[in-house]
Amino acid sequence: MDGAHDMGGMHGFGPVPVGAEAVFHEPWERRVRALLGPVMGSTTIDRFRSTIEQMPPADYLASSYFERWLWALERLTEEQGLLEGAERPPAVVRPSASAPLGHTRFRPGDRVRVRNAVTPGHTRVPRYLRLHQGDVERVACAWPDPGESAATGIYGRPEPVYTVRFAGDDLFGPGADHVLLADLGERDLEAA
Amino acid sequence: MTGLTPEQRTEIVERHLRDHGHVDSERVDAVLAAAEHGAGDGPSPALGARIVARAWSDPDFRRRLLADAVAAVADDHPQSVPLRVLEDTPEVHHVVVCTLCSCYPGGILGDPPAWYKSFEYRSRVVREPRAVLAEFGMVLGDDVELRVHDSTAEQRYLVLPLRPAGTDGFTEDRLAALVTRNSMIGTGRPLAPGDGEA
Repeated sequence: MDGAHDMGGMHGFGPVPVGAEAVFHEPWERRVRALLGPVMGSTTIDRFRSTIEQMPPADYLASSYFERWLWALERLTEEQGLLEGAERPPAVVRPSASAPLGHTRFRPGDRVRVRNAVTPGHTRVPRYLRLHQGDVERVACAWPDPGESAATGIYGRPEPVYTVRFAGDDLFGPGADHVLLADLGERDLEAA
Repeated sequence: MTGLTPEQRTEIVERHLRDHGHVDSERVDAVLAAAEHGAGDGPSPALGARIVARAWSDPDFRRRLLADAVAAVADDHPQSVPLRVLEDTPEVHHVVVCTLCSCYPGGILGDPPAWYKSFEYRSRVVREPRAVLAEFGMVLGDDVELRVHDSTAEQRYLVLPLRPAGTDGFTEDRLAALVTRNSMIGTGRPLAPGDGEA
């Protein structure tokens, strides 16, 4: 979905608060994180992210980091029935950090285009990359599709994920002399 | 949104979860107290620094870390998601971000600092990384290729920074004392010998 969270490349936020180190600022923030533990055991990280992304954009931008987590905690506990005394849903089986790759459609060096397949559902393809072309740098890993993991709350079959290399000036205009690399699922790419 | 404060809303969720037996508040208290009193051997910038120092000192470990970071650290620090270590060279510098949320190599470094999660960093480092690095006090030569990694999938990234000059013969402990958290994200360099040592 095209939400306020998808902020890569946006102008106007100002200088980075380079000295801002503290992980937590208020005691309730630590509790929010601790309380998420049992909730996250029964869903996917993608559903957690997708829930946060459903915050109205004005609220998202006005909320602190852990206020956004709290928003998701309230909704995920309700959705899992935990506020009304339901049994805790079964634990979700997580994929391995080293899941085998299987067949890969693309190889390092292949020219690819990022598909413009955005839906109201969850995606990990940032807006600033859509329809741009890049080169496959490497096959990164195998991981279940985040859109499906968000929709279902369980992890499906791991699919190939590619690290794709983009030219900064193609994405952000002349003067951007850097290289941008992002990790994109096979179904989000097409041969260019 | 409700008229309640975040603290009140958190208490309401915790009360419901406790009343229905889904959490034990005393256990939550204990977990939080333990976390505040140091992570022991768990993920922290100190762990990342030890891994970097070992990679600087041990060519075989360096090769294994760059080839398959999850396998290289698996015995002592099993990772729950894929991990890739990015090797800086005199010609190439890496910097890591997550524009969509706050993905971070937490399995090595622990929790991200506030600036890493800030809208300012997330929005700008992909568009104008040299300007952002300058705000961190880091100026790269025009001849250095700057690679910005946006953590858009579950693979996490840790930067292996350049070993500082003048550290020949240093033990791993002395080297680790030079490795800053920011140097493993790409927004800083390791300390120079003398800067970081007691």
